[in-house]
Amino acid sequence: MTGTSTGPVPTTDRSKSAARPPAGGRRRRLPNESALLGSVGVAGFLAVCEIVPRLGLFPEKYLPPVSRILAELGQRLLLTSFWNAVADTIIAWALGLAIAFFAAVLLGFVIGSVPVLRAFTASTVEFLRPIPSVALIPLAILVYGVDIGSTLLLVVYAAFWQIYIQVLYGVADVDPVAEQTARSYGLGYWSRLRHVVWPSSLPYVFTGLRLGAAVALILTITAQLTIGSPGLGQQIQVAQSSGALTAVYALVIATGALGVLVNIAVRSLERRVLRWHTSVRGEVAS
Amino acid sequence: MLRRTLAMTSVLALAATSACSGDESGGDDLTSITVGAIPIVDVAPLHLAKEQGFFEDHGLKVEIKNTSGGAEAIPGVNSGSFDFAFGNITSLIIAREKGLPLKVVSNGVTSTGKEGADFGGVVVPEDSSISSARDLAGAKIAVNNLENIGDTTVRNSIREDGGDPSNVEFVEMPFPDMPAALEQGELDAAWVVEPFRTTALDDGTEEVASNFVDADPSLSIASYFTREELIDDNPELIESFTAAMHESLSYADSRPEEVRRILTTYTDMDETLIEEIQLPAFPTEGDRDSAQRIGELMVKDGLIDSKPDTDELFL
Repeated sequence: MTGTSTGPVPTTDRSKSAARPPAGGRRRRLPNESALLGSVGVAGFLAVCEIVPRLGLFPEKYLPPVSRILAELGQRLLLTSFWNAVADTIIAWALGLAIAFFAAVLLGFVIGSVPVLRAFTASTVEFLRPIPSVALIPLAILVYGVDIGSTLLLVVYAAFWQIYIQVLYGVADVDPVAEQTARSYGLGYWSRLRHVVWPSSLPYVFTGLRLGAAVALILTITAQLTIGSPGLGQQIQVAQSSGALTAVYALVIATGALGVLVNIAVRSLERRVLRWHTSVRGEVAS
Repeated sequence: MLRRTLAMTSVLALAATSACSGDESGGDDLTSITVGAIPIVDVAPLHLAKEQGFFEDHGLKVEIKNTSGGAEAIPGVNSGSFDFAFGNITSLIIAREKGLPLKVVSNGVTSTGKEGADFGGVVVPEDSSISSARDLAGAKIAVNNLENIGDTTVRNSIREDGGDPSNVEFVEMPFPDMPAALEQGELDAAWVVEPFRTTALDDGTEEVASNFVDADPSLSIASYFTREELIDDNPELIESFTAAMHESLSYADSRPEEVRRILTTYTDMDETLIEEIQLPAFPTEGDRDSAQRIGELMVKDGLIDSKPDTDELFL
C-alpha cells in the first residue's frame, strides 16, 4: 500500500530524486542540502544557455542569451496584461482540474468498487484514454468557440483519465484483510468506504491529482496556443506571429515557472493530507 | 482588475470568482459584437476602428478575439462564437463550396500591386540558383497552409513566368519558422508575408516573385465575413459594421504611420521591424474580379471542382 510514493513520479521533479536516500542506506540528505543542489543545477543550466548563443554555437537570432530572455521576462512582469494572462491561465487550469478531479474520483469509486461495472467499462476506458486531447480541438471549437469552454474540454479530458485510473488502482488495492475485518465488525457499506477504502486509496488519488495537475497545465497552455483562448499560451502565440523570439522564450520560462509552482502546491497539499501515511511519514522522519 | 489580483491568491477564490465574472457588456445603447482576427499586420484597420471609436460611432461595442487563423475563424463564425471574422479569400471560397453560408461584408486587405514591394512574396536563400518564378518549378517551397492562397498564387506565378508548377513540392510550415528553415537549407524557397518577409530579406534572402501581384494587381487577399443567418436577422448590424470598417480602412490606407503605431498595441513586433515592413493596401471595396480570378486558379489546381459563384460570396 506504500507503493505510491515510488509510483509514477514526474521526471522533472529534481529535488525529490535528490532527496532519496543513497543505495547504501546512509542518512538521507538534509532538505536544504537538496535545495542547494537544485539551485546549483538551475544556475549551471542558465550558464549553459547564456554561453551557447554567445559562443555562436547557435545563431543568437534564434536562441538569444538567457540574460536577454530574463530581462524581457522582467519587463513583462510589470505589465497588467501579463498578470491577466497568468490569471486566465490559472483559472482555466484550476477549473479544469477541479472538474476532472471530482468527476474522476466519483466515477472511479463507483465503478472501481463494483467489479461488474469495472469489467463492463474497462475496454471503453482503454479505447478512450489514449486519444490525445489535442485531437479534440476542432470539436471543442465547434461546440464552445474560442472561449474558456474549449480550453476546459481539452483540460478535463486529459486530466480526467490520469486521475480516474489512479483511483481505480487505489480502490482495487484495498487490503482484503482490512476489508474483511471491517465487515466482521459489522461496518456498513458507507462506513467501510469512509474508514477503509477511502484512506487506503487516498495516496493513489493524490498521485492522480499530481499527474492530472501537470497534464492540465500543459493542456491549458496548448489550448490557448492553438485555439487562441486568452492566457499565457495566447501571448506565446502572439509573440510567435510577431517574430518576437525573445518574448516567446520569456513566456515559455514563465510557463515553466508556473509548472514548478503547481507541483510544489500539490505536493505540499499531499504532505498535509497524507501526514499519517507511511509514504509521507517516511520522508519526514527516518 | 482587483478581482483578478485577488483571484491569484487562492485556487478556491479563483474558482469562485470566475463563476461570477460574467459578461460586462456596456450598459449604453451599444450593440456588443465579437470579431475573430489573427493578430497580424493585415487586421490593423480592425484595431484602429476600435481604438478610434469608428465602431462606437456606428453603435457597436466590439470585442476582438485573437484566433490563430482561418481554421478557427470560419467554424467560429459559422457556429456563432464570432459575429464576424477575418479570413482569406481562398478559405472563404472553399467554405462556400462546402456549403457553409458565409458572406463577405467588408474588404480586409489588398495587394499593393507593386512587384517586389508587396506585403507577401516568395524568397530564396542568398546563394540560390533560383532567380525567377520560372525556376521555382521542382523546388521545395514552404507555405503556411496547403491548398490555400499561398500555393494557389505561387503556382500561378510559376505558370505566368513560363514554368511548370506540377512537380513543385509544397511543405506546410508556420511563417515564424520559415526564415530559420531557409537559412538551414531545409527549403529551396518560402512564401512569406510580413513581418517575416522583412526578417527573411534582412537575413540576405532574395525575393523572386510577388505572387499576389502576379495573380492580380488589385488582389483582395482577405475580407471580413459573417454568416447569412446574421445578415437575415439583423441587416442594420451588418450595415453598421461595414460602415465602420470602411471608415477605418480608408483611415488606415491614408495613414501608414497610424497603422505602424497600432501594431505596437496588439502584436509583439519589434519597433524597428515595424518601421521596416511593407504595409499592404487597405481599399474599402474588395475587388470581385480578383476573387473570380482566384476561383479560376483554384479550379485549375483542383482545389475545387467548378468555378465558384463569387457573386454569392459577396453581400
